[in-house]
Amino acid sequence: MSATQQLINNQSYKLKTASLTGILVAGMFFADISRAEYGINFPPPAADVAQEIYDIHMLTMQITTVLLLIVFGFVFYSLYYHRKSRGFQADQNFHNSWFGNWSWVVVPVMVLGVDLTIAGKADAVLKKVWDVPKEENILDVKVTGHQWWWEFDYLDHDIKVESRYVPEKESGDLYLREVDNRLVLPTGQKIRFLHTSADVLHAFWVPELAVKKDAIPGYVTETWAELNREGVFRGQCAELCGTWHSRMPIVVESVSPQQFAAWVDDQKAIKVAAAAEASADKTWSLDELMAKGKTLYDTKCAACHQVSGMGLPPAFPGLKGSAMVTGPIEAHLEIVIKGKEGTAMQPWGSLNDLEIAAIVTYERNAWDNNTGDVVQPSDVKQAR
Amino acid sequence: MRVPRYQTPELRNKNVRLAWVLGGMAIFFLVTSFPFWTGLFRIVGTQAMP
Amino acid sequence: MTTTTLNHDEAHHHDMPTGWRRWLFSTNHKDIGTLYLLFALIMLFIGGASAMLIRLELFQPGIQLLDPDLYNNLVTNHALIMIFGAVMPAAAGLANWMIPMMIGAPDMALPRMNNLSFWILPAAATMLILSFVVPFFPGGGTQINTGWTLYPPLSVQVGMSMDFLIFAIHLLGISSVLASINIIVTLLNMRAPGMTLMTMPMFCWTWLVTAFLLILVVPVLAGGVTMLLFDRHFGTSFFDAAGGGDPVLFQHLFWFFGHPEVYILLLPSIGVLSHVIPAFSRKPLFGYKSMVGAMLTVATIGMVVWAHHQYTIGMSLGAVTYFMIGTILISIPVGLMIFNFIATMWRGAMTFETPMLFAVAIVLMFTFGGLSGVMLAVVPADMQYHDSMFVVAHFHYVLMPGAVFGLFAGVFYWLPKWTGHMYDETLGKIFFWTNVIGFNITFFPQHFLGLAGMPRRIVDYNMMFTEFNVISSIGAIIFGLSHLLLLYIVIKTIRGGKKAESRAWEGAKGLEWELDSPPAFHTWTVAPQIK
Repeated sequence: MSATQQLINNQSYKLKTASLTGILVAGMFFADISRAEYGINFPPPAADVAQEIYDIHMLTMQITTVLLLIVFGFVFYSLYYHRKSRGFQADQNFHNSWFGNWSWVVVPVMVLGVDLTIAGKADAVLKKVWDVPKEENILDVKVTGHQWWWEFDYLDHDIKVESRYVPEKESGDLYLREVDNRLVLPTGQKIRFLHTSADVLHAFWVPELAVKKDAIPGYVTETWAELNREGVFRGQCAELCGTWHSRMPIVVESVSPQQFAAWVDDQKAIKVAAAAEASADKTWSLDELMAKGKTLYDTKCAACHQVSGMGLPPAFPGLKGSAMVTGPIEAHLEIVIKGKEGTAMQPWGSLNDLEIAAIVTYERNAWDNNTGDVVQPSDVKQAR
Repeated sequence: MRVPRYQTPELRNKNVRLAWVLGGMAIFFLVTSFPFWTGLFRIVGTQAMP
Repeated sequence: MTTTTLNHDEAHHHDMPTGWRRWLFSTNHKDIGTLYLLFALIMLFIGGASAMLIRLELFQPGIQLLDPDLYNNLVTNHALIMIFGAVMPAAAGLANWMIPMMIGAPDMALPRMNNLSFWILPAAATMLILSFVVPFFPGGGTQINTGWTLYPPLSVQVGMSMDFLIFAIHLLGISSVLASINIIVTLLNMRAPGMTLMTMPMFCWTWLVTAFLLILVVPVLAGGVTMLLFDRHFGTSFFDAAGGGDPVLFQHLFWFFGHPEVYILLLPSIGVLSHVIPAFSRKPLFGYKSMVGAMLTVATIGMVVWAHHQYTIGMSLGAVTYFMIGTILISIPVGLMIFNFIATMWRGAMTFETPMLFAVAIVLMFTFGGLSGVMLAVVPADMQYHDSMFVVAHFHYVLMPGAVFGLFAGVFYWLPKWTGHMYDETLGKIFFWTNVIGFNITFFPQHFLGLAGMPRRIVDYNMMFTEFNVISSIGAIIFGLSHLLLLYIVIKTIRGGKKAESRAWEGAKGLEWELDSPPAFHTWTVAPQIK
């Protein structure tokens, strides 16, 4: 997008938001239009359907604002003129007039007219939102909510992206709006999101895409979008999912189809390299596993068990000196691979042998646990 | 817990009868307006299978 | 009329019991009404304190005050205490006090059950507060971090405090169903001779509809949470997909209760307005019949549009279209109610005492909340609003004016009748203005937060949301503190003040104003004849 175009877009956006605030705060106590840059309306849409949703949002808001002003107008007129202190005599027969006898028909018919206008417009957009395309070249992205991170599976490319929040030290101003691995999507291609969850309810929400759908364990819900501009779009989990609900940002990076193809190739290369490393028939040293384990632990386990290994009892038990991680290796492997039912501890069996070996080794030796155990990938393979 | 006798026996009977009807309505909704018992029986049934 | 004469004489033999027996064993509708109102006032402050903590935490980005689970626990408790502890008992208190006096009945139809339905409440409240407190003790399990909606599977993860909560909900449900049965029986069987259903005061009509709604939907909630209890402890899987259940089923059961619940909270206050506005406009209620019709329509449509709280669960196109159109149609009867209120004020001779100020504020602000409700009903747009702060702003704009301000209006309107003293009008007006201004500063900016992308129920937020959260929290402090003034006014009025006449307000109409202020312990022992 050229600079001028962006400027125009920005301007019209500001104009829209400015007029919007103007309407909204009419008669209210503060009218600070300079707030526009802090966001008082949806961000500019990045998809055609999102644009239509934005338009219907503006339409209903305008209709309701007009209705509100009509009601306010009548009430304030009445409050001013029909008061006893002005000597106004109450009209005791007002409810017996023609108007009084027939208003119960007139008013509902008028409201019905407004309702049908809104419902009619909404219905057309609704059909588009709900009608998920079934084309051949559609990009399928399976979105899985976890406590508390997102997993994005590109089903057509066999790529998996794990997306977690970035702590405040590294993300700075974008804290709670920044992730370590973004959801990279191409423009100009229809994308189908398949939402599901591994544990509790979550909801995928990116305002620019106007996509929000619940992730329900055991069920798959679908939505779709076709991005029409490049950019970085930020959203958050919208359905209360437990302790760190606030730490589930979603960052969509919209890129051109060429860049997307390059990104896919990169991801595949990384995956191949990782698989080669894991399957290499090698005995790993304690130091190697500890180094790998720390990185993995801090991203995957620390949300609950904390970097310090102290956990957040009683919900999330501490690992420092705990009976589980200093006891038999088999039980430790089993709980990591299979999880524990009825608790927030989920199965991590989808990690490869090397990763699990590294995490378990790290947990058994970090924070003064010092069991000296070194768990090899081959041990993990056996335990599965 | 003494109640002043302001209700005639007829009125009192009428009141208690209506109260039971309404209470029955509440219990009816508790039991039937959602798949509680069907679900329970289904689950009990499948779990009892060998 | 031999029987009434007999009863009349007998009533005098029953002296008013004194001491704690008067309250614990009370079968008197006025005393039980007072108990309900006091209970609601205490709960209002407990629920308000939790709201203050929530707003203080959100004052600045970052986690300063509350750890995330405690924050979520407060969110849960704020909602449950305000709905089940404050608003519903306060409305029941008004019903207990006013319905027998309004319809010329000596007492509620089933006085002993009346006693029971109140005294279940303190037990339920204890359970509710225990569910909040238990996790602080060793071995108390995790805090309830689910919000009041209690959606599984999250609610299955929670520790034993969830069981306390489930039993608290059962008790609260039993209490409201019993109270509703009592109110319906009273209204249908105990009206003074000559008073028909269509000449009965509007407040009675609203409670008749509310009571029926309660009987229909509260058992469904009870069933839903029972299934949750079974899932948690007895190995069933109603809501567990792995065992053949469906997590969404709970949402349907919950909102089948939850949506009519909105009207349960709302309608008694609409009833209060139907008395306050005509009294201070010195003009009869405009459109009594259409009001009754609108109310019945709201109740009926309200029962069948619950899934608009769950647009994002992945329903079929047909289902969402139905729920969208049904929801938008609710604006017709609600619009008619608002219209009737405005038409009652129109060409009246208005004065603006505190109850009327609240009534006018309700008409304006409830319209605002109702209109943002129309926006939320539009499914495609709701794909954006859903579970954002916009929703929080919307339902507070509906429930604060629609329910709580209505109760405030009712309390100020009838306080002279109950206590025999006029409240301090200046203080009342100060309370009104701080309350309403504080409310608007708190919740108006939350619309913007939601549109800008802030989800609800998050303990920590990005700094882009700071400005409006600061404004909102400052408003919340004003709003919260203003309620101390309410407490002061109520205590002051009970202790003394200008003597209230039996017809405390110039334009007040109805049987309750024929009685002394304060009324005798037993009133209408001889039924009045309605012409």
